[in-house]
Order: sequence, then structure tokens, then C-alpha cells
Amino acid sequence: MKIYKVIFSLLCIVFVGISFINIKKHKPTPLKFIVPKGWPKPLYNFKQNPLTIEGFELGKKLFYDERLSKDSTISCASCHQQFSAFANYDHNFSHGYNNSFTTRNSPALQNLAWQKEFMWDGGVNHLDVQPISPITAKNEMAETLENVIKKIKRDTAYQRMFKAAFGDETINTQRMGKALSQFMLMLVSSNSKYDKVMRGEDTFNLPEKLGYQIFQQKCVSCHTEPFFTDFSFRNIGMPLDATLNDIGRMRITNNNTDSLKFKVPSLRNVNITFPYGHDGRFFALSNLFEHYRKNMQPIATTDVLLKNKMPLSNFQIGQLTAFLYTLTDSSFITNKMFAAPAYTKPIILHQH
Amino acid sequence: MRKFIILIFFSQCIYNTVIAQQNTVLKLVHKVGNQPLTLYTEVYKNQWNEPFTVNKFSYYMAHLQIVYDNGKKTYTYHKPYHLVVENDSTTKTLMLQKELKNITAIKFLIGVDSVQNTSGVQTDDLDPMKGMFWTWNTGYIYAKLEGQSDSSKAPAHYFSYHIGGYKYVENAARKIELAVSSNAQNAIEEIIIEADILKWFYGTNEIKIIQEPICHQPGKLALAIADNYKNMFQVTAIK
Ligand code: HEC
Ligand code: HEC
Repeated sequence: MKIYKVIFSLLCIVFVGISFINIKKHKPTPLKFIVPKGWPKPLYNFKQNPLTIEGFELGKKLFYDERLSKDSTISCASCHQQFSAFANYDHNFSHGYNNSFTTRNSPALQNLAWQKEFMWDGGVNHLDVQPISPITAKNEMAETLENVIKKIKRDTAYQRMFKAAFGDETINTQRMGKALSQFMLMLVSSNSKYDKVMRGEDTFNLPEKLGYQIFQQKCVSCHTEPFFTDFSFRNIGMPLDATLNDIGRMRITNNNTDSLKFKVPSLRNVNITFPYGHDGRFFALSNLFEHYRKNMQPIATTDVLLKNKMPLSNFQIGQLTAFLYTLTDSSFITNKMFAAPAYTKPIILHQH
Repeated sequence: MRKFIILIFFSQCIYNTVIAQQNTVLKLVHKVGNQPLTLYTEVYKNQWNEPFTVNKFSYYMAHLQIVYDNGKKTYTYHKPYHLVVENDSTTKTLMLQKELKNITAIKFLIGVDSVQNTSGVQTDDLDPMKGMFWTWNTGYIYAKLEGQSDSSKAPAHYFSYHIGGYKYVENAARKIELAVSSNAQNAIEEIIIEADILKWFYGTNEIKIIQEPICHQPGKLALAIADNYKNMFQVTAIK
């Protein structure tokens, strides 16, 4: 009898030992988030979601996975394309499920760690919850969270990756959100010609330099460096499009003074994120300049800086354009780290 | 394997503390006036003589606490957020994992604290998958009442009240405190709390379906309805 007890105890010790070794092995590898020199501290709370290589890779797989949509045709990357700084290249509205369209222009995804509120109206208050909106919207991915989680749970690759990233096999909405955030947080664009000039590694040519000076006078109060947005909500005198009836920030705050205010968009990579404006009504930068100097229709909630429109000569427009081109970060849009993983194409397609 | 050993250990503990002891059970019973709530088919009338049916009724019961031992002790339910859903009967019976005597008050919050509204995706009953979450204007829906009414001018005669809001001026979370007078000296086996849906339409504010068939965002209307339904609960039995 005694011998059994001894054997049993020994076995227990061995098993406990093995499980500890396992736990050690599952520790994911930390991924460093580098704050570019001179930039402020990020707002995202990394303590609640520490970046790891495994988490980032999982987030990337999710970002490029069409199964997040109802008919497995649309991934986050369908509307957020790397070569367009993760905006939707050449689309005022993006194509959603079953030939539907979004009602706003898909913004570039960059430097999200410094952003407090998301969407053109700031309605989303945390990066982790942002993906829930496109996944469940009828005119985007039109899927339910339940189905998405079900599909992911069935995939052995995901089972492995969730365990590697978070320590155990639990797959839920929270972990999906955290993983997607890990991928999106790493989308830092800070290596444009402008950045190189600021770091003393390059120099502006004459038109760029003059353009930068004009930008300092006319644009920085809203498109503030280094993000080229101060993240505030403003009305720049774009008249309401009656077919969309989008009142912007007021939808979130219920406050009349916020009517037709939208988040100041970053101008980083602006040259490759056309069309422009919250509803993509400006197809080229030249449309915007015409708006600022001529077409704008100021109303009560239009920003005080623009009450009398913004005088701009053709000459100034040329130089401003030259400067805005220096904000394109080619190393960002070609960085292999953010490209679709090779195995992204779902192995088990159309399984619903 | 470690999990297995722990499991054996815990099941022993659970046996000792739970099975050997009598639990108090809290039951939630939903009514419309004096009538029991039946989804979809039953037509009710509110105080304004508006006929209506109910398709959906759910709410977050948060931070449930029971004051017992004549006010000396407080029991806190193990789940900070418990989602009650009319057509899921398991959500309407709460095992209190403790033997409670001389209960004097029952306290809870209908709502979700602002921290949970602002710190990303939550789990368990707060998983956005449960459908009590606004995706376009981040925040939890604290209580939902949906149905159809001939008085409604909304499409398909729907009326739909989704009540929530965590920001300072829009905070729709409501604290509920129900006083209990029970002279039962024995351990209590069952507490029944009734929730009366009719209270959504009157009390502090008059809510008429004909005027307000839809409330789908935080703000004045949501606050007005929350101020009404905070009075819908009543302890009807303690056994
Ligand atoms: C059908 C097109 C479409 C799909 C699919 C899509 N998005 Fe978007 N995304 C948009 C549009 C349009 C907006 C702007 C919406 C608004 O402001 O109302 C946006 C906004 C965002 C923002 C906010 C950016 C900011 O600066 O405020 C993030 C982050 C984002 N999307 C991430 C994702 C993720 C992650 C996925 C996949 C789960 C995804 N998107 C899928 C079109 C799409
Ligand atoms: C009063 C604040 C303000 C000033 C000053 C301002 N902008 Fe803007 N800008 C905005 C806002 C807000 C938007 C988004 C408007 C919308 O879509 O509703 C915007 C949009 C843009 C866009 C479109 C970007 C995109 O991705 O959609 C460009 C380009 C732009 N501004 C360039 C400029 C330039 C160049 C100047 C200076 C000549 C300037 N802006 C001055 C607030 C401002």
C-alpha cells in the first residue's frame, strides 16, 4: 500500500514540474514599441495589452483574414491597404458585404497609439473595441461576433496562435481585439522625407521649404506636427450632403455646437490616401485647396480660423503640394512586417 | 495535469462549503403589471392605453450585494456583472453560494461602471458578443426593452428602448436599494424579486410609445427612461 502512495506522490511532483516547464515555454516574446524621437508619450495603455511578437503575428493574421466577414470576401485589409498607408486607395466609399458601401471614407491607419478617439466622429473610445464596428456593420463585414469567434475557434492555426500569444487556448472577443490592436499599434509612420529633414538627415528643396513655411502659417493650428493633426473635431465649411445626412461629431455628443464637425485627419502619407474628406468628396489635393480658398460654405459651427475662408495663391498651392508630398513614408508602405502573411488565404474557405 | 490535481482539490473544497451547506437562491420574475411576461404573443397595455408586445427584455444587474445578519454583514455576489435575459431562464436564477439569515436590504446597480465602458473589450457577461454594446458610440447598453405596438410610428410598428450612457451628463447607471423586512430566523432558501415592465413608461417621466418609439443612444430620453425603470424592482417573497 505504502509503495503506491510513494509512487503517486512522485508522479504528482513530476506532473506539476512538467506543467511549470510548459508554462515557461509559452511565454511570448516581448515586442518593443519605439517612440520616435521628439514625439510625445503614446496614449494607449500598453500595460493592459503588452506587445509581443506572437500577439502581433496573430493580429496581422486576423487583419488579413476574410473570414472575419459574413461571406469570407472582406478583410480589414480590403478597406485598409498597406500601399495606401492602410486607407482605401482611390475609393471615396469602401465596398462592404454584398455590394454595399460604407458611408464614410476609410482613413489611413497610422500612429494609432497616440490617438484617443477613433472614427471621423470620435465615437469609438478605445482601439481594442474598434474592430467590432466593421465586423458587425451590415455595410462592412456584416458578420456577428459569435460567428467570427466560432470560425476562429475551429481553425487549429488560430488555436496555436492564441495560445502562443496569450498563454492559453481561450479565444474570445477581448483577445481578438487585443491582438488586432497589437498589429495596428505597430503601424507607426515616422520616416518620411519630412521626418528625415527634421532629423537632419536630408534637406528640403526650395518649393518644399517654402511650402513648409506656408504650412506653418496656415495649417498647423489644426494639422499639428508631428502627427499633422491635433486630434480635435472641426468644421471646415463642407456643406451637408443631403444623401448622407452625416452630422459628424454631433451624433456622438448630441450637442448643436458640434454639428458638421469631423476629426482633423493626419496629413501623413496624404499623397497616397486620396480621395479626401470624411465622405471622400475631394478626389485630389487640388479640390481641397479650391475648397479652402473658394468653395467653402462657412456656417455657425465652422472653425473661427476659416470664417473668412483661406486665401491661397496658385503659387502657394504649388509649394504646399510640394511640401505635402514630403509626408509620404515609403518605408512604411513597403515594410514587409506589415504585409499580408503568406499563409493568409484561409485554408478552409466558405465553411459557414 | 496540474489543472486536474487542482480540480480534485477544489471539488473537495466546494463539496465542503457548498453542498454541505444550504444556498440561498435569488429568483428574478418579470411581469407586466399583474400579468406574467410572455414574449412575442401576449398583448399588454401601458398606462397610456397603448397596446404592446415584448420581444426582448434584458438588463445588467451589477455589484449585487445582500445585507444580512440584521445589517451586520454584506454578501457580494461573485459575478460583478450579471446579464439577465428574459428568454434565458438560467440568467434569472442566481445561486448566492451562501446561507443568508435576517436579510435587511438588497442592493445592485442597473448599469456598467464607466471604467468598463472605456477600457477596451471586456469578457464574460460583458463580452460585446452579448449584444448589449454600442459599436458606433462605444458603451454598454444597460437595459433593453423591445417590442411592437400599434401606437408606434417607427417601421414595422417597432418600439425599441436601448438605455445606456456613461459620460458625466449622460450617466444612465442607476443604483437600486430594496429594503427587506423578514422575520425569518432560519436560513433563507429563496428570495424573489419582481421586475415590472410597465414602470418603464411612467413614474418620474411620462414615456409614450406614440411619441418616443425609439431610444438608441445615450442622452435625455435614455436618462428619463432609466429614472422610470429604476423603480421597477420589488422584493415579493423571502422564504
Ligand atoms: C468595408 C470597409 C472597411 C472594413 C472591412 C474595415 N474598415 Fe476600418 N474603417 C472603414 C471606414 C469607412 C472607417 C471610418 C469610419 C467612420 O469614421 O465612421 C474605418 C475606420 C477604422 C479605424 C479608425 C481609424 C481612425 O483614425 O479613427 C480603425 C482603427 C479601423 N477602421 C480598423 C479596422 C479593422 C481592425 C478592421 C477589420 C476588423 C476594419 N477596420 C475593417 C472601413 C473599413
Ligand atoms: C480649422 C482647422 C483646419 C485648418 C486651418 C486646415 N485644415 Fe485641413 N482639415 C481640417 C479638417 C477638420 C479636415 C477634415 C474635414 C472633413 O472631412 O470633414 C481637413 C482635411 C484636410 C485634408 C484631407 C485629408 C484626408 O485625408 O481626408 C487635407 C489634404 C487638408 N485638410 C489640408 C490642409 C492644408 C494644406 C491646410 C492649410 C492650407 C489645412 N488643411 C488647414 C481642418 C483644418
